[in-house]
Amino acid sequence: MKGRSRRFIIGALIILAALSYLIYTGMREAVVYFVTPSELKAQEGRSKDRFLRLGGMVVQGSLQKDLKSLTYRFQITDGVETVPVFFRGVPPDLFSEGKGAVVEGRFGEDGLFHATTIMAKHAEEYSPPKEGKPAYPHSFVPGQGEKRP
Amino acid sequence: MTAAIGHTSILLALALALWGLMAPILAARTQRRGLFTSIWLAIGGQFVLVTLASLSLIYALVTTDFSIKYVAFNTTRATAIYYRVTGLWGALEGSLLLWEWILIIFSALVAWNYRNRLQEFMPWVLMVFSVISAFFLSVIAFASNPFDPIFPVPADGRGLNPLLEDANMITHPPLLYTGFVGLTVPYAFAMAALILGKLDEAWIVTTRRWTITAWFFLTMGNLVGAWWSYHVLGWGGYWAWDPVENAAFMPWLPATAFLHSIQVQERRHMLKVWNLSLIIIAFSLTIFGTFLTRSGILSSIHAFSSGPVGIFFLSFLAFVLLGSFGLLAYRADRLRGQPELDSVVCRESTLLCNNVVLVSALFTIFLGTIFPLISEAVAGVQVSVGAPYFNVVTAPLFLLLVFLMGVGPLIAWRKASWDNLRRNFLWPAAASLLLALVLFIWRVRDFLPLLGFTLPAFVVFTILFDTALALRARRRIAGEGLIAALATLTRRNQRRYGGFIVHLGFVLLVLGIAGSMSYSVEREATLQVGEQLSVGRYRIQFEGLKGSEQPTHFRVEGSFRLFNEGYEVGVLSPALKFFPTQQAPVGRAVFRSTLLEDIYLILSGFSELSQNQATLKVLVRPLMAWIWLGGFVMALGTLVAIWPVRRMREEEG
Repeated sequence: MKGRSRRFIIGALIILAALSYLIYTGMREAVVYFVTPSELKAQEGRSKDRFLRLGGMVVQGSLQKDLKSLTYRFQITDGVETVPVFFRGVPPDLFSEGKGAVVEGRFGEDGLFHATTIMAKHAEEYSPPKEGKPAYPHSFVPGQGEKRP
Repeated sequence: MTAAIGHTSILLALALALWGLMAPILAARTQRRGLFTSIWLAIGGQFVLVTLASLSLIYALVTTDFSIKYVAFNTTRATAIYYRVTGLWGALEGSLLLWEWILIIFSALVAWNYRNRLQEFMPWVLMVFSVISAFFLSVIAFASNPFDPIFPVPADGRGLNPLLEDANMITHPPLLYTGFVGLTVPYAFAMAALILGKLDEAWIVTTRRWTITAWFFLTMGNLVGAWWSYHVLGWGGYWAWDPVENAAFMPWLPATAFLHSIQVQERRHMLKVWNLSLIIIAFSLTIFGTFLTRSGILSSIHAFSSGPVGIFFLSFLAFVLLGSFGLLAYRADRLRGQPELDSVVCRESTLLCNNVVLVSALFTIFLGTIFPLISEAVAGVQVSVGAPYFNVVTAPLFLLLVFLMGVGPLIAWRKASWDNLRRNFLWPAAASLLLALVLFIWRVRDFLPLLGFTLPAFVVFTILFDTALALRARRRIAGEGLIAALATLTRRNQRRYGGFIVHLGFVLLVLGIAGSMSYSVEREATLQVGEQLSVGRYRIQFEGLKGSEQPTHFRVEGSFRLFNEGYEVGVLSPALKFFPTQQAPVGRAVFRSTLLEDIYLILSGFSELSQNQATLKVLVRPLMAWIWLGGFVMALGTLVAIWPVRRMREEEG
């Protein structure tokens, strides 16, 4: 009986150790800290080359996009500090100037935040259409778009 | 009027539920016959009333009775009739009503099914149902009333989130809820067994079929959710480890563990406390999942707006956990003195390992899901736990599970001899090693994908090998042909062969996950009309954009001609849908699926003015189709395992 319970405890310890190791490696790879531009600036030294999530507002008029190479440059602010962001890829549909956004990536040596993902903040409720302001692209009149090469 | 009927029914049902939870105690005290009968009547009455309430809400949705707030928020005059009905589970209030409805349907089925049997158990089983029903009814009546009026009555409703207007909306939530609620049946019997102190295998044997049925719905609900995510949400993935996906997946793990470990109890009368704990945990997780989804404490695509509902669920969760485990502790003396393992290498220990792996997976997923909450509460640091955590942690666990799946069904009970091991595993193991070698030489050089392909093959080999031996034996004994022998075997041992088929389905699914996770290719580009993009063997040529007015939205569609190694395959047209009620367009991805790989096209953007430019995202995901195929096979296997065959019973005894 004694031998059994000892074996049971040893087995449980081995399983726990293996599991802790798995969790530790997983967490190290995937826990992403969320910072605001102010926090990022305050801990600039430590933030370098760590995978972070930066949240704030996309500064009005800061967005420069190059559709050909799919690169985007813009600034994110929390009202106090501003961080320049560089992104290559396709941002989500809700991403635009003056709106909230969360970018994920690393703050590089060049002073740019290199984002690998952009997450736009969704509005909490689905809003009804505003008067005289159709949400869809009004320049896109049905029938006109059927251009074939 | 409709609202009045609905709301009154809910209140009356609540009164009956409260009676249903008191009556068994009074009946047990006084032993009066009338009181016992009243328990059944309380369940039947709740069934009628809740059905009436649900039908009222459906009627209001279908007739677009906008004087009810819920209807005004979740449907419009333009909504197609079936999406009006699905509005029942389009938002919080309705989905709670649906949950309660399914719960009371299950309770009524159980009450009807055992009306002449298990007379000792049933009052307590029905009491547990009434407790849970009373909880849901009070939430519906006092915290999230789907029959709340709105004033002034709007001219038109707001409508469902357009993402929800999809055929899967008809199946995914009800399947999942049925799975969740189905777990209530074994839980209720477990509680009844604890209350009565009758802790033999009766409650397990009685509820086995119910548990497998619940498991079936839970599995299908999750898979349909993954399918929906893959083909509608337009990001090319099927599982994001979103907190709400985790909430739906977590109960599956202890439920699966339970289905395996009860075999040990049935056979060897071991693991009693463990089995009771598993079913308590599985049931609690369904409540926890609702708490997580509906309280708004975690942000997620599935989350409905927050409200006072969270605190109701948290309190009920605490009540369930304290009550159940308290009862378990109270009965601890009757649960002692169980037989112990005879050997390390045997069926029991394999099933035990399966349980340890499943519970470990549950623990890690649970931890990852709530870690942001812990971190914020304890350290005040906002963090998020990304999908890589879940992938890194669960991949080895699930591979281990697949390995056990190969060993478990063939290894002997009590103590496996060398002879048993050699006879059952020599050929399958050799074939798997050979396959691993071939894959390695071919091009699979990474460790995890190599295991991801070899272990499923090992399971397939063991199952084929075992079935082949059994078929040969049948031919020798009864002289049956292949098909006849297979039919006899399956009929004679539905659970074993049903289980085999489920295992086959599961390993196909693992194969699909391994392929799509390890070898996906992703490309993104902005194309002019006539320009091409190559991805692997494929070339995609942009043909142009087209806009069209749809009944509920405006649709912009890009045409892309697809070439596979130079041969034209066809034109794929991913689209963006612009709903007047939405700030941003909803993507509609298009993909082309073969057994080898999927090619998945997402229109991410287009130039509004010149209309000759589109941004396209292309994903090539190998072996994706096997995930869905595996799901079908799992469903088939579950049906084989539970299909009621009358002869079965006689032969089993």
